[in-house]
Amino acid sequence: MIDVQHLDYSYGTKAILRDLTFDIAEGAFTAILGANGCGKTTLLRCISGLLTPNRGTVSIDGTAVSQYTARQRAQKVALVQQHPQTDIEFSAFETVLMGRNPYQHHLQNESQEDWDIVENAMKQTNTWHLRFSLPSQMSGGELQRVMIARALAQQTPVLLLDEPTSNLDIAHQFEIMELLSAINRNEHKTILIVVHDLNLALRYCPQALLLHDQSLLYQGPTPDTLTPDRIRVAFGVRAQNIDGYLRFER
Amino acid sequence: MKKRVNIWLVSSVLLVILAVAMALCSTVGVVHFDRESLLASPIFWNLRLPRVVLSVLVGAALSVCGATYQSVFRNPLTDPYVLGISSGASLGAAIAILLGLEAHLWGVGGMALLTALLTILLIFKIASIGNRMHTTTLLLTGVCLTFLITAVISLLMALRQDKMESIIFWTMGSFASASWMDVWIVLPVVVLGILVVLFYSKDLNLLLVGSETAQSLGVEVEKVRRRLLLFTTLMVAFAVSACGVIGFVGLVVPHCVRLVCGADNRRIIPYSIFVGGLFLLLCDTLARTLIPPNELPVGSITSLLGAPMFIYLLYKSKRSI
Repeated sequence: MIDVQHLDYSYGTKAILRDLTFDIAEGAFTAILGANGCGKTTLLRCISGLLTPNRGTVSIDGTAVSQYTARQRAQKVALVQQHPQTDIEFSAFETVLMGRNPYQHHLQNESQEDWDIVENAMKQTNTWHLRFSLPSQMSGGELQRVMIARALAQQTPVLLLDEPTSNLDIAHQFEIMELLSAINRNEHKTILIVVHDLNLALRYCPQALLLHDQSLLYQGPTPDTLTPDRIRVAFGVRAQNIDGYLRFER
Repeated sequence: MKKRVNIWLVSSVLLVILAVAMALCSTVGVVHFDRESLLASPIFWNLRLPRVVLSVLVGAALSVCGATYQSVFRNPLTDPYVLGISSGASLGAAIAILLGLEAHLWGVGGMALLTALLTILLIFKIASIGNRMHTTTLLLTGVCLTFLITAVISLLMALRQDKMESIIFWTMGSFASASWMDVWIVLPVVVLGILVVLFYSKDLNLLLVGSETAQSLGVEVEKVRRRLLLFTTLMVAFAVSACGVIGFVGLVVPHCVRLVCGADNRRIIPYSIFVGGLFLLLCDTLARTLIPPNELPVGSITSLLGAPMFIYLLYKSKRSI
């Protein structure tokens, strides 16, 4: 589904990603793991087409992301960014409706079908009751769910999320991850998610990509990926796996 | 579907109001006519009517440009003059006045247009990195150029104090010299520019949310932004050249519309056309009729009328939250 070949990305002279090669199967729910600054966000942005790699290719459905027009790309990949904008005066409903933009022409207004899709996406993410609220009136968890609803309204086969659980309390972290699991299960969407909490990844994401030092350290099922040895290399901490739960020490 | 009907309905109502206002405003003036002599008078046909039409055109253009800039730059404080086009035009006008071109047909306006277009070229050149347009650089370049050009104009005025008054008067903005020729020069640019902005009004909403969000939702951000900036700057350049710098309209009309009808540019842009046109028409009518036979600077009327209205709307919207 997602095929990354020899991906290099650098800001100026600073290399962010080096010679990254992997592919993600259709319908996989994959966590992107790694220490701060190892290029997780950059990787997501390269896959979503927001950034153009210096070398190498990212393909979705067999076609290089750079070959798609912005519209086509937005019908293939949806991205939920790390920090949703809160100073916008569009209601939650209008925000989710924007997810239909890749399917509309310039002067075309929303069809009944668009409205139904938006209603569905908002009910699925439990945000329908918030439809008249502005971002400034919502909590972090609510806003994050609205952003996920917008990504669902895009009806893409691939969904990318950049730390959707950061800044959320533990109950809301579970809520978001369960929501994503359900989306992955029911709609067979291919999901790639950047997470910092390794236990959260272990619990909800069957697959994992572990990045270290700007390149790929390991790709595989999450329990196989997060061994104490690899955690030590990637994060510089000692870890113990106790009945499927990771305990960390310095 | 419901929304669509509303936009057309509201726009039609606004259009009717604007048309009635244009008709009424062209009947009032320093010289009074009865109904029959009015339609026979060259004062009506060659002075008032072009003036009324031009003020509506300029008001609409400035408001639409203001609304566009506020979304493109994601900054509520931007007005059509923020990129320095107005000062560019003023420089041209000042040079034309110093050279004594006032008597020539469109001598001042033409020169103003020329320097305004050169200013646009310059700021686009500076702010483009490859084929990308850096908006912060664009804004800062505009602000800086404004200072630079204003300084040059002050120097010119200091050196030629006999012309100072006419230069200052030009920069304050006025429709007193409006003619049909002004209308024919400004009309095509304004109509084309407004059509382009209307075409991209949905993309403006997404740009307002953020350029990355817009891009990931299928907007060709660079292309759209470049086109919008090109056509709006052209509108501003032609408007300023025809009537000088009229402040406040482009800043506040879009905000007033936004306070009443929400943040959706698919409504703000069309409504701004009518509200902006109507507002500037009323202000100019007041400017030429309040203390006959003298004229007040229309820019001061726009602020005097507009600022309290805007503050009232802000106050009201604060209470409703």
